[in-house]
Amino acid sequence: MPRRYGPYGGAYVPETLVPALTELERTWRSARRDPSFRRELHRLATTLGGRPTPLYLARNLTGRGGGAEIWLKREDLLHTGAHKFNNALGQGLLAVRMGKPRLIAETGAGQHGVATAMIGAALGLETDVYMGEVDIDRQRPNVDRMRLLGARVIPVTTGSRTLKDAINAALRDWITNVRTTHYLLGSAVGPYPFPAIVADFQSVIGQEIRRQSRRAFGRLPDLVVACVGGGSNAIGTFHPLLRTDVELLGVEAGGPAGSRGAASLSAGRPGILHGSLSYLLQDTDGQIAETESISAGLDYPGVGPEHAWLKDSGRVRYVAVRDRDAVRAFHWLAEDEGILPALEPAHALYAAVRAASQRPNSDRVVVTLSGRGDKDLAVVLRESH
Amino acid sequence: MVDRGRSSALVPTITAFRDAGATALELGFPFSDPVADGPVLMAAAARSLTAGTNWADLLAACRRASRILPTAVMTYANPVWRRGLGSSMRELRSAGATGLIVPDLSLEDSLEWRSAASQAGLALVLLAAPGTSSDRIVRIATASRGFLYLVGHYGTTGAPVAGASVDLGPLVEHARAAVPTLPVLIGFGIRDRASVARALREGADGVVVATALEERLAAGASAEMLGLWLHDLVAVPLPRPPQVTPRRR
Repeated sequence: MPRRYGPYGGAYVPETLVPALTELERTWRSARRDPSFRRELHRLATTLGGRPTPLYLARNLTGRGGGAEIWLKREDLLHTGAHKFNNALGQGLLAVRMGKPRLIAETGAGQHGVATAMIGAALGLETDVYMGEVDIDRQRPNVDRMRLLGARVIPVTTGSRTLKDAINAALRDWITNVRTTHYLLGSAVGPYPFPAIVADFQSVIGQEIRRQSRRAFGRLPDLVVACVGGGSNAIGTFHPLLRTDVELLGVEAGGPAGSRGAASLSAGRPGILHGSLSYLLQDTDGQIAETESISAGLDYPGVGPEHAWLKDSGRVRYVAVRDRDAVRAFHWLAEDEGILPALEPAHALYAAVRAASQRPNSDRVVVTLSGRGDKDLAVVLRESH
Repeated sequence: MVDRGRSSALVPTITAFRDAGATALELGFPFSDPVADGPVLMAAAARSLTAGTNWADLLAACRRASRILPTAVMTYANPVWRRGLGSSMRELRSAGATGLIVPDLSLEDSLEWRSAASQAGLALVLLAAPGTSSDRIVRIATASRGFLYLVGHYGTTGAPVAGASVDLGPLVEHARAAVPTLPVLIGFGIRDRASVARALREGADGVVVATALEERLAAGASAEMLGLWLHDLVAVPLPRPPQVTPRRR
């Protein structure tokens, strides 16, 4: 795995963190080759996590689109309700391997916080989760879950009080407690080796899509769609498909009408944030912009460096979907298929239905449903009046 | 910290530092996401950004400050990156800065920065920290210009939390043995005579004080009061026998 993706990536961090990053990289490389690590990862992914997740034919949603067949990769059925489990499990096992007794994490929507709290409980590690005050307010059920799972939720009251500020707080904690603590970074962002590690643990999504597509309709899909905040479910979906002919579409948060939302790839420029060079929403002085999105998990002004490279190289196309359209897609899925999606993948669903409607009936579109929507009910009900 | 909201205090404050015995100035540019900073400098940056401080304010402050004390600019990587490495560094040099300190730039990513700084005539100061291995600190010291900034504890700027302090003596020795001509300065947590004395005992050539000054400024201290306080720190005697080996041939 490369330290950079084209020019993007790197490890722009205070020197205090360099030994921890070096140790993390060494531990991950040795774990990947270790059959007993892989066996334990597989055992917990299946018996604790519930892998593999189904690939589901959404007949009624397909009818609504009127074009290509739409299939849903059901990461919402994974334990803790989102794809975040895959990475939390992998990194939790790495923390144990490194002998670190404590985990910290940042969380936006709370799903990564819940996954980290869950793995902390399952592996016997003390767990602290940083969450912006604004996010605590709009994702209340997840805050309760984290506490019940034994984690401490630490409100972040500085900056915009959302995901980027939670990452800042977690990084400051790590700088102070680096000897006893592993920072379980939740998305495909951050300094090397995090983007590579997260892509590795999330690749199970794309690997299963390949196998399941062949079994379901005899070949790979024509188009695969995933939502992009920091980019972890998307990079896990796309990685095993990069060297194929499958079209790949990443969907960012366009926010409310009239704003740039949080669409770093569509509306940003290259810059350095949270340890890596990637696309960012920023002003002319390089101050990081405050973002706006109805979905806490996509509300981040940066994006993983591998996505930056995939955009520049043209392998993946990235679009932005507005808040209002994500809410519409939420209702479509609820009414057409009886599934309540998280607002994050609702963005991808909207783009997928639009894309499918332009394609022939013989085409196959797969959308990664990265999480379930229990956490978003209050917000959706409010928006729907 | 450069702050458009208190620009009239800049010259008296830096003059007071000089009169108190400071040998150089670290001029901070506020950043929206300062991960290496504790609460005092975070708040200072937030106030400064709210007051509308921008790059032009930094250059103006540099021009005035560098006439009083040799000035190094401290900024996170992105503001420099966004404006272009070469052009930002040339602008800083033209404004009178002689050094640049970037706390989120690690050695492996610094090559382009070092060459741009060298071309612009700016000394790019690199940082080392507790936990940096002995051969890594040698590489950092070899690549650093101006001085080596050794972070004094496990933590962000400002006072260390319990258990975060370490003995930096061995690290200082390795750096000095490798590059005897490069001064080693210890920063983060330098806030009173005891912490200064400790840094000198560990072999540092000097110290960097930021949070303790910002804290006093934010509390309303005048330039004169700051000067008096700083003078007291500067007066801490060198340890006997001198740990510092002569560095000039």
